[in-house]
Amino acid sequence: MSEVAVKPGRHREATLYHALAGAGAGDGRTLAQLREVALAHYYTSELPVWRRSGFWTTTLQALDLDTLEDQSESTEPGAPAPGAPALTEVPDVVTRTLPDRPRAGRLVQSGGTVVHVDLDPLLKERGVILCSLQDAFREHPDLVAPWYSKRLTIDRHKLEAANAAFWTGGAFLHVPDGVVVEDPFEIVYAIDGPGVAQYGRTLVLGGEASEFRLTEYDLAEDFEGQALHAGAFEMYLSDGARCRLSQLQDWGSGEVFDVSTRFVGVGRDAYCHWLPALLGGHLVRQHLELAISEPGGDMAFRGLFFTEEHEHLDVFAVDLHETGPSGGDVHWRGAASGDSRASFEGLIQIDPGAQQTHTYLQIHSMMLSPKARVDAIPSVLVSADDVSASHGGTVGELDEAAIFYMQTRGLDRPAAVRVIVEGFFEPLIAELKDEPLEALVREKVADKLAAAREDIEAYATSR
Amino acid sequence: MADLEIRDLHVRTEDREILRGVDLDINRGEIHALMGPNGSGKSTLANTLLGHPSYEVTEGSITFKGESIVDAEPHERAKAGLFLAFQYPVSIPGVSVANFLRMAINAKREEPIGVKEFRTQLQHAIELLDVDKSFTSRHLNDGFSGGEKKRAEILQMAMLAPDVAILDETDSGLDIDALRTVAEGVQRLHDEQGLGALIITHYQRILHYVQPQFVHILMDGRIVLEGGVELVERLEREGYDRIRQEFGASV
Repeated sequence: MSEVAVKPGRHREATLYHALAGAGAGDGRTLAQLREVALAHYYTSELPVWRRSGFWTTTLQALDLDTLEDQSESTEPGAPAPGAPALTEVPDVVTRTLPDRPRAGRLVQSGGTVVHVDLDPLLKERGVILCSLQDAFREHPDLVAPWYSKRLTIDRHKLEAANAAFWTGGAFLHVPDGVVVEDPFEIVYAIDGPGVAQYGRTLVLGGEASEFRLTEYDLAEDFEGQALHAGAFEMYLSDGARCRLSQLQDWGSGEVFDVSTRFVGVGRDAYCHWLPALLGGHLVRQHLELAISEPGGDMAFRGLFFTEEHEHLDVFAVDLHETGPSGGDVHWRGAASGDSRASFEGLIQIDPGAQQTHTYLQIHSMMLSPKARVDAIPSVLVSADDVSASHGGTVGELDEAAIFYMQTRGLDRPAAVRVIVEGFFEPLIAELKDEPLEALVREKVADKLAAAREDIEAYATSR
Repeated sequence: MADLEIRDLHVRTEDREILRGVDLDINRGEIHALMGPNGSGKSTLANTLLGHPSYEVTEGSITFKGESIVDAEPHERAKAGLFLAFQYPVSIPGVSVANFLRMAINAKREEPIGVKEFRTQLQHAIELLDVDKSFTSRHLNDGFSGGEKKRAEILQMAMLAPDVAILDETDSGLDIDALRTVAEGVQRLHDEQGLGALIITHYQRILHYVQPQFVHILMDGRIVLEGGVELVERLEREGYDRIRQEFGASV
């Protein structure tokens, strides 16, 4: 792993906005060894703070981790609490939210336990594996071990260490060489009540020339009280693999903290279209890194977010090119209502030797209330000379001229605002190329707009 | 009482009085032309009639179908049967022309319009406006040429079937083919649907393709001259300056 010279104190924040960009913790160590190392880091490290001076601070001060872990640790990992009903039920929020549509397979983890797995038997015959990561370590150790934590670190902060030390259940998906799957795989992390510390861990392997879709759902019931999701996701696409990866996150109105790291590695001539839709969470911090690791790799890194009420969102999206020729195209859109805060940092990093890389990053945001705030910082770190990397973006408020235009066609103000915001997100939603999922995202956006109606009215009269 | 009745209308924007006592009557089935030099208040009148929030009515009245609309929201005026074709139509990215039209039509109705009925209406309007069918699946005004934007305005007007439409310099920036299409569209809506129209223009050329029954000349916030189509010819011969000299004392 490349070492970055770090001085304590004022330089600390800079290290937190670095790409992982290097080997992970795996490195030939066993799962037990990794858990032990992670545990040591967990005990010696503090809860992280991410800060961009003058822009934002993401702090977990309000998170009562001890209480959450006391509750989660009162049982064996993955086992139901004594006396409590066995956690074998798929939470209602999952059945309620997920579209009823053909799928390749589905895995649902509720709290710390995988409560449901199904996989198309025809795919199983062809060697596709979808199971809990715990089971995968038991049943497919040779397949899992070389990839587990290959690029994910375990020691950058307390919650990353906690995930690596304490994860239970987890998800493992393997699509073997040459297997093409039309319908999506679904991996679901659900929190059905307060007091849960969920350490989600996902490993996805796309074999050579495989093709598949994967949608991750992160869902919680609306509840009173705190819960934590500290997630770690890693996906490796071998030569010529193609994946459309999407994520729908809506942690509901409870006080859910989500601190997650996701890494996607794109192999030779492989392609990934990645689109997280971050649609709610009390405090959400996402490190999302898409790396082109072999020549000819290409990707489209999309994302949308919509924060409301008092939510705080901090996204660090990395477009990493470790070798060339490679292509990249990063395009994010976000809206904020209420007195929510959304912070987006997009980094294009082109390593030495990644010649003939061409990439572009754009971030567009829209503020729907006078108290909402969106900050977007694009940054570019280029260490090769035969490349093109650029960025652009807009920060906007509602376009009053467009609203008046639509009003003269008979739409009332809320309807006109809805058209604008939906139109703002539409280019990305349409890129999902998955009608049931598109409909779900549109519906979520519409719900948030309906909830923000008073806000938007107040904004209009304040100007 | 006229369908749209404007009496002694005074309008101010950003502390400047733009309209200083306008009187105008427009009925369904009548085509009016409102002409005037730049800065005379033509666009102010158009925007005020639809309730643009930047324009404040300080005196006078606007009644539509017997009711005052001065305090009505823009969408309420639209639902009552007024329409404004914009001088500079705004682009609405992410929404197709067809979807937008459906929303606008449904905003006026109790029950949403049926798929078949909508398609029939749209087909009729497309033929009327001589636009390509693919036009309606493009995002509204997004990346449209000047001519396409104006056609889209008339297409919306045809679909929404207002009682009185205000066309704010719809002719500006159009080549002769686009101008003819737009003008003929207005004329046909008048003939077929009994549309009443107020065509606001700086120039005379649109009036070669659509025949106004009434012509009004606006200068410095007041209508200074009214008549029939012969006024257009006079303007063509003499220009605004002669008229300004004639009415200089009063404006």
